[in-house]
Amino acid sequence: MSGASVIANIEPTAAPSGSFVRRPALSVWTILKWVIALCAVVVAVFPIWWMVNVVFAHSGEPVSINPRLYPTSLAAGFEKIRMILAETDYLRAYYVSLVYSLLTIAGVLLIGSMAAFEFALFEFPGKRLMFAVVMVSLMVPTAVTIVPTYLLTAKLGWLNTMQGLVVPGLASAFGLFMLIQFMKTLPREMLEAARLDGATHFQLYLHFALPLSRNALVTLAILTFMRTWGNFAWPLIVAPNPEIYTVGQVVGLFNSPLSHQTVDVVMTANLLAALPPLIFFLMFQRKIVEGIAMSGSKG
Amino acid sequence: MEVLRDVNLQISSGEFVVFVGPSGCGKSTLLRIISGLEEISRGEIRLDGQLINDVDPAKRGVAMVFQSYALYPHMTAFGNMGFSLKLAHSPKPTIRDKVAAAAGILRLEKLLERRPGALSGGQKQRVAIGRAIVREPKVFLFDEPLSNLDAELRVQMRAELAQLHDRLGTTMIYVTHDQVEAMTLADKMVVMNSGVVQQSGRPLNIYDDPDNMFVAGFIGSPRMNLLKAVVVGRTPDSVTVNGPGIGLLTLPFRGFPGENGQVSLGVRPQRIGLLGVQEGAIANRVELSATLTFAEELGDVTYLHCDLSGGERLVLRSLDGHYSGGRRLTAVADAASILLFDESGRRIRPAT
Repeated sequence: MSGASVIANIEPTAAPSGSFVRRPALSVWTILKWVIALCAVVVAVFPIWWMVNVVFAHSGEPVSINPRLYPTSLAAGFEKIRMILAETDYLRAYYVSLVYSLLTIAGVLLIGSMAAFEFALFEFPGKRLMFAVVMVSLMVPTAVTIVPTYLLTAKLGWLNTMQGLVVPGLASAFGLFMLIQFMKTLPREMLEAARLDGATHFQLYLHFALPLSRNALVTLAILTFMRTWGNFAWPLIVAPNPEIYTVGQVVGLFNSPLSHQTVDVVMTANLLAALPPLIFFLMFQRKIVEGIAMSGSKG
Repeated sequence: MEVLRDVNLQISSGEFVVFVGPSGCGKSTLLRIISGLEEISRGEIRLDGQLINDVDPAKRGVAMVFQSYALYPHMTAFGNMGFSLKLAHSPKPTIRDKVAAAAGILRLEKLLERRPGALSGGQKQRVAIGRAIVREPKVFLFDEPLSNLDAELRVQMRAELAQLHDRLGTTMIYVTHDQVEAMTLADKMVVMNSGVVQQSGRPLNIYDDPDNMFVAGFIGSPRMNLLKAVVVGRTPDSVTVNGPGIGLLTLPFRGFPGENGQVSLGVRPQRIGLLGVQEGAIANRVELSATLTFAEELGDVTYLHCDLSGGERLVLRSLDGHYSGGRRLTAVADAASILLFDESGRRIRPAT
């Protein structure tokens, strides 16, 4: 996807009229850049295109002796989608994934922004130590903490519950770090002016820290959505009950070794799972690119 | 760390007080202490006779205008000015009326719907002042409010601030490092250096009658000339000094106190003229011969920077726009306009 925007950006501006039209020199380097960009586009887009191609075709056609690189039957595709939605709990999984994502986003934004507000703008005893602990937790990979987190969640009796899914993901060290960096740039004198105007501590947060960090909050919301929607391991171990399967788990069922589905049905399930983030991405493309540039990381 | 020491100030109601001093002298800290944004380790602050040491900044009845304007970027000019009233849950018509009144004073009526990003520097500063006016404070605090503006606008805003003070009649405390701002605006000027109040009073009194060498040098441009000398003799009505470059000088001085020793002579460039050009009727004149090093031709006046024979620098004023004399010149001063400072920089005043 990133390749596509590169091409869009280097579109030449309208050539000036007149006899002295200077073409940009077509150097080896320019050609090389285009070739690399096009390769990147192919690598990024082809799998998605292949997925669409396989779904909207009659079974087996794209992988036959005479394969096609374009969809041949819309009707066949919609029939597969209808079949999956009718015969599995896909819609329920959509609902679970959506609630899981939205609750996580709300929690991460609320907790992250409140904590960042204090860390970024105020002094309190133990601040440096606490911040160091948060930063260290950023460096520990999820795989290390997943078992203790599971045990704790199980002890709370939260297996197969929504809170079991959501609560452990609410404290985002990365989100906190990003918001702190952002809130540190809020002008101190402005907050002092607000204090003189009679704003309480909470009102400073509500009327200044929150609205002025909007961009950072939107970015964090998007990154959190991507992370939560695509989270596979945590729902898999903490919510093994089919009642509370997320989209990822349902797709996992299709892909499992003992599943007797054909490739095109599996692909349809994958396409359905990929659709919401894809739409989300197209809607917020600019914000996401900005956000990743700002955070310097993909979360 | 001690930033301020022994600050004792009394400000009368309705006064325009200016704290002036070099950067780092503690003038902004003093202002922030009055506002409540900074806490004090010792001492008392009273407003209208009431101790306000522990009163919340918002409840002290002070409003502050910051150097950086400190506007709320996500609110319109109206929102900025009405924010304090909104927080205090004032009814909407009241907010509208008060903001409109303040906007009228500051000619901001047409800009109320704009956000700070769409305002120029001068307009932003007016909105910031408007935000303070709306709160109807007992004391306005200004922290270098004009230093982010360009020179022309600064002069204009200075005049507007003076008018605003006349109109509102509220006590204003103003911090600046710009002595011209201080001299023009102040009813009472407070000169500070390294956390200590050096002198306070009416600007011209301070200018004419400084308490010490710091004040003498800081107030006035170009700086007061300060020349080192040694006291060699005195009578009840005069004192005789000797210094490199100035030779033996006898100055009228009633009751010179203390021992013979090192002193500094201070004389403003405006009080020195050129021999043959501005002699006038000086009763007790002092002549110094000097070498011109460079002439500052400003149009209305020309300042001549000279070296005395002892190597000390002397700046004097030539009333002519041009100076066409030679490199050797003779400066003339009225002996009565020469101030004396002791070794530690304190002013030595004649007995009255």
